[in-house]
Amino acid sequence: MTLLPWAVCVWLFAIGLYGIITSRHYVHLIGCLSVVQSATYVLLLAIGFRWGAGAPIFYDHPPGTPAVDPVVQALVLTDIVIGAAVTALLLALALQLHRRSGTLDPEALRPMQ
Amino acid sequence: MTPRLRLVLLALALACIAPALPAVIGALPVFGSHPLPYGDIINRLAPAERHVTNMVSAVNFDYRGFDTLGEEMMLFVAVTGTAVLLRGTRGEAITALPATVPGRQIPPHSEALVLTARWFAPVTILFGIYVVLHATVTPGGGFQGGVIIASGLLLLYLGEGYAGWRRFMRNGPLDAIEGGGAAAYALAGFGPMLVGAQYLQNVLPLGSMKLLLSGGLMVVVNASVAFAVAGGFGILFVEFLEETRAEDPTQ
Repeated sequence: MTLLPWAVCVWLFAIGLYGIITSRHYVHLIGCLSVVQSATYVLLLAIGFRWGAGAPIFYDHPPGTPAVDPVVQALVLTDIVIGAAVTALLLALALQLHRRSGTLDPEALRPMQ
Repeated sequence: MTPRLRLVLLALALACIAPALPAVIGALPVFGSHPLPYGDIINRLAPAERHVTNMVSAVNFDYRGFDTLGEEMMLFVAVTGTAVLLRGTRGEAITALPATVPGRQIPPHSEALVLTARWFAPVTILFGIYVVLHATVTPGGGFQGGVIIASGLLLLYLGEGYAGWRRFMRNGPLDAIEGGGAAAYALAGFGPMLVGAQYLQNVLPLGSMKLLLSGGLMVVVNASVAFAVAGGFGILFVEFLEETRAEDPTQ
């Protein structure tokens, strides 16, 4: 069981990368990029985890109770919000591309005139 | 580049990385053993130093406050870039006319959807505000709460339809909320410098633990993040939904 988080992380990264490599549509590619990104969330949260520890919130538990790492959680938290905004930016680029060239297939794209 | 060529390139890259993989996998920490010291130091010191109970917020808005300012600017730039890209070709004209595809009817507004959205949108926005306000106390903060408030705004769109939604989702106020939030974060950092402290140093009274106003400068920074995130996602929704509108026939 101790290998499962790393395995999930590798699987997410690999399946996302495979999707990017074989992508035939830019919206699909942006979705795959989000999958790759979520692999980093799993990796960071798994690194911060500790058996028998609670959340790093000392409201019910007094300070000093074993808690997981708050630093990686803070990193993941901001990353998720920023990731969503950057995905929106990429989708706007895809929209723009479709308007100019009429296609979102990387194969069919030609250099812009 | 054909998919086959791309796969060959991937295989070549993997062949280059493969020799190093066993060493990396072998060096991974055992899951649950937690080798990093910084989180433990913050867990030990922050409750006494900053009078807050939520360590994640303490990291985000205080100990790593300067990094979060950078992330805040990334959000700001991404939202600005999206708005510029979409408005650049569409223009700033606003029309409530839905774009139509020949041969496809626009379905009528379902009353069940309106009722559900009107029930859930205010509750969602209220919950978002609750999450924002409790940033330093219980799980929550400006990032999460801001996104929850923004999803409430999207629910309002589902309930009210585009024209009704745009009556209060105005470009000007949304831009002001997004930019004002980002600016408030950066300017809040200069506040401590007026009294001779460092940029973003927490010089405000810390308050007592488990109260909403605990954490000093964190309260200000958290609120500005909430405004920037809620406003930023509001702008994104408006910009993408504006794409579904027809060209204004009067222009």
